[in-house]
Amino acid sequence: MSKAILTDVTKCIGCLECVSACNAEYDLPVDVPTVWQKNDGLSAKNWTSILRQQPEGRYVRIQCRHCLEPACAAACPVGALQRTAEGAVVYDENKCLGCRYCMMACPFGIPRYDWDRALPYVRKCTLCIDRIRDGREPACIAACPEDATIFGEREDLLVLAHQRIADHPDRYIDRVWGEHEFGGTGVLYLSDVDLEFLSYRPAMDIALPKTIEAAMQSVAPAFVGMGAFMLGLNWIIKRRQKLQGGHGSEEE
Amino acid sequence: MESLLEFARGPLFRLTFAIMLLGLARVFILDIWGLVEAYNRAGDKSIPWRLTLTRTLEWIFPVKRMLNHRPFYSLSAFLFHVGLILVPVFLFAHIQLWQAALGVGWSALPRNWADLLTLSTIIFGLAIWAGRIGSRRARAISRKQDYLWPLMLIVPFVSGYLCVNTSLSPAVYQTLMLTHILSAEIIFVLLPFTKIAHCVLMPLSQLIMTIAWKFPARVDEDVATTLGKKGAPV
Amino acid sequence: MNRVHVTKTILWMLVGLSTAVALTRYMFGLGATTNLTDATPWGLWIGFDVMAGVALASGGFVITAIVYIMRQERFRPIVRPAVLTAFLGYVAVILSLLVDLGLPWNIWHMMIYWNPHSPLFEIGWCVMLYTSVLLLEFSPVPLESTSRWARVRSVLMKLRFPLVLLGIMLSTLHQSSLGSLVLIMPFKLHPLWYSALLPILFFISAVALGLVMVSFEGLATSWLYRRKPETDLVARLCKAAAWVLGLYLVVRLGTISAAGQWALILDGSWESFLFVFELLVMAVIPMILFAIGRVRRAVSGQWIGCSLVVLGMVLNRINTGGLTMIGATGDFYFPSWMEFAVTAGILSFMALVFLSAVEHFHIWSEQPHEREADPHASPEFSRSGEVWLGSPPVAARTRYSFAFVMALAVGVALMPGERIRSSGVSQVSAQAARGGDTLFIDGNRDGFGVAFDHPRHVSANGDKASCVLCHHMNAPLDKQSGCTTCHRRMYQMADAFQHDWHASPKGASIACVICHEEGVYRTAGSALPCDACHRDLVPPGVTIEVKSYRAPSYVDAMHDLCVSCHRRKTLELTDRPDHAQCRTCHETPLPDYLQPDMADLLRRPGYNHVVLPAVVKGSN
Repeated sequence: MSKAILTDVTKCIGCLECVSACNAEYDLPVDVPTVWQKNDGLSAKNWTSILRQQPEGRYVRIQCRHCLEPACAAACPVGALQRTAEGAVVYDENKCLGCRYCMMACPFGIPRYDWDRALPYVRKCTLCIDRIRDGREPACIAACPEDATIFGEREDLLVLAHQRIADHPDRYIDRVWGEHEFGGTGVLYLSDVDLEFLSYRPAMDIALPKTIEAAMQSVAPAFVGMGAFMLGLNWIIKRRQKLQGGHGSEEE
Repeated sequence: MESLLEFARGPLFRLTFAIMLLGLARVFILDIWGLVEAYNRAGDKSIPWRLTLTRTLEWIFPVKRMLNHRPFYSLSAFLFHVGLILVPVFLFAHIQLWQAALGVGWSALPRNWADLLTLSTIIFGLAIWAGRIGSRRARAISRKQDYLWPLMLIVPFVSGYLCVNTSLSPAVYQTLMLTHILSAEIIFVLLPFTKIAHCVLMPLSQLIMTIAWKFPARVDEDVATTLGKKGAPV
Repeated sequence: MNRVHVTKTILWMLVGLSTAVALTRYMFGLGATTNLTDATPWGLWIGFDVMAGVALASGGFVITAIVYIMRQERFRPIVRPAVLTAFLGYVAVILSLLVDLGLPWNIWHMMIYWNPHSPLFEIGWCVMLYTSVLLLEFSPVPLESTSRWARVRSVLMKLRFPLVLLGIMLSTLHQSSLGSLVLIMPFKLHPLWYSALLPILFFISAVALGLVMVSFEGLATSWLYRRKPETDLVARLCKAAAWVLGLYLVVRLGTISAAGQWALILDGSWESFLFVFELLVMAVIPMILFAIGRVRRAVSGQWIGCSLVVLGMVLNRINTGGLTMIGATGDFYFPSWMEFAVTAGILSFMALVFLSAVEHFHIWSEQPHEREADPHASPEFSRSGEVWLGSPPVAARTRYSFAFVMALAVGVALMPGERIRSSGVSQVSAQAARGGDTLFIDGNRDGFGVAFDHPRHVSANGDKASCVLCHHMNAPLDKQSGCTTCHRRMYQMADAFQHDWHASPKGASIACVICHEEGVYRTAGSALPCDACHRDLVPPGVTIEVKSYRAPSYVDAMHDLCVSCHRRKTLELTDRPDHAQCRTCHETPLPDYLQPDMADLLRRPGYNHVVLPAVVKGSN
């Protein structure tokens, strides 16, 4: 079972109730209001925010996508980021050493850092994993007055999303964002406008951990191979030097 | 003017105060280092704790000299130091500044005590300066900085006293305040590199005096070598 | 002062400055020292110190491979400096990491929490192990000066071949894995740098750089200590480097061909120019220089060629490690002076350790004559000739500690203590509202605001008597001063009180004691409140208290002003339950009676996303 969020961009009215609910749930300090910020509004104090898309002026809520194969979890050298059985990508601040490789590796640029603090941690949406385990839905979902963002099993939501597209083909672009992007994400989007701007470059359908798989698998062979090659080289050169009669001194 | 004051109170103060603290730490460490080297060279390995302590105390409380040798000068010097140390550290206004910057404060001198000590520092500072000028024997062993320092040290006291105790027009007040801050900052900078460094080197100097004068065995040969007169008759 | 003295004094100053910056970083966090942002979480300390630093320290494994594996005895004189440089290089990398990591005291977590899928995990382990190996490889040198450790030394000498072999194997892994590090970012890294063969490219270039770095270091120290340079050995190393650089070029251009990216090189973007420049400096020009025998054997030719390779390789690592990601992230990053200071300080510290080791141990075949290490040198005097500076070691430590302390104090004075790079919103100044009777209130001029229906607010609140409800600041000769008069910044408090003007004889000419009580420290808090003098400052019927001379930010002021009133109205008007919600102002359709010119204003290009879309479209 894998939980997911479906956000319907056509229904969102940009009221920011989800953002306040998130801030209240995690007792986050008040940040500059999202709509006044020049960047995407996410910060160590804001784990979800609403982007104002241009030129149509749609509201697009962004947060951690909870990828099925998260790049951040593959990148973290100490495994501080893990994908749980519920489908949430969660962060363990007790393991973290602060290398910020997860922030580099995230294709959506989601993880944020406590730049202002002497004791900094990575901050991002947790999918309200504790609430899910209590059988409740995430705080942002509960707060949405328009049901623009809903929560459920990923398979069910995908079915529902395709159903909505089939019911209103004129209202939606025939694509569920998050179904295949970067190996599939736990946050799905329905939209009547293009959402390519949500990732750095046009989204790819490969799971990012696959990109380093080959290199990491060849680590052990390269290690042994280089050792054997060096030993062989040494043996050949030693033998050649012996045959030539000259011999390098072992000791200076 | 306001911005100049802000600069003097802010970055310039941080710079000069840091130079003072770090500079004093530096001379202290260098002195200890030299002391250890001197100790390793010394033939006699005993450490004269008692002698150092008594000599240091004698310098701080010059009771003996006060009684039989230039009593007024010695008393002035002692009283000068009392105000010099207490007023800057325990003045209410200064503590407020520390409280605002670092969040730590400590109890302050009562206002009238602070005023009294400030005046006494100014008066005794002038007195020891006069004492140095007035005595031929003192003049003989004085350097330029010895004349300069007593006057230099009372400048922030005078300007600070005037700032606090008089009703002045803003322009004069700000000029005096700037004088107060800048003169104190000049003192901070010069402090670790001049004789005022004795504020941290005080007991060490006495210890070095006693240890360094114990010559190691066969030191005469080293001296001869350094002077390039090895083997020459003394 | 000779070359060594000047160099060491400068190095000590840099160490002092970087110590102050490091203190700032640990006290106030990375935001107070670096220009890093969420979009650019890796900067100079990773791109240069770690990525380029590890590559620059590759001389150790290359030279030990040449001497111990390939048994080229003529290179033995440069093994010791090469291994020492490599060791110090890795220590520098670790020190940089201790500054850059957010939680550096957790660096050992890599030993207990494993994630073998992560390239960084592998690099971390290799760097830890290889640094230990280098320490063991080098430690026979300092140990040879005492007979007490002879037994340990002989064991280490026996272990040398396996240590060298292990060092080469570990280096192969992490030099290449630094390339794997960015493989996970195909969405960010420019395609001219992104290649599945990055690990191999990184390894080959590390070998070339290793050969060059050893040469470079020999040239630099021979200049510093006026030693005879090892011109013949350097020429041989340069020749080998030419071959490796050629191999690198073939593989690099091969990947470009295989990916069909030749068009990208010619597309005229800044990345394409950077790519050509990088390739010329790091490989093409030095390869040609080193291929010419006459150039290779001349000291000046060696200097130029080696410098080019070093600069080019550093550029390559920086480009791969973040610079060419700017195109995707759109976040321009340039390191702060403090980042440069830390980098310079760590390198200076390592250089000082190197110079000290060279003066005290048998690193080169002939030890440089350095008077500071010689207690019997003739005495030094100050420039005036009056003061003896002490014996050479004493004079040296006096000089260097002075340089260190002064630089440290300057660093302390320059500590900012707060975030140095804001996200660009806090400094936006507010602007007065524009419009006729309906005001378009758009403080930060982003075309995003509220259409405020002024006539309706006037009539609903009691006509002229209601002005003061909002316009509480009645400046002289002005009964309706704009909110921005005092609330000048969008998000920051601003000074509404001009102290200088009040105190100046040319202004209000008020003596201090009028506002500040005597005997109390003079602060804004202890001064009289503004309305003690300006008695009509707060008109009757208004609930605002003016105590501080700090005006709240524009956003806070506007929100407080509107929202508090709306809240009251919500209780009074039972038919408007949502009156205090954001949507009431930021989302309601334009009312019918709004003038047409206001609607025109909102439809202008700059205001295309004003918050009142539905009726504006319909009202035309």
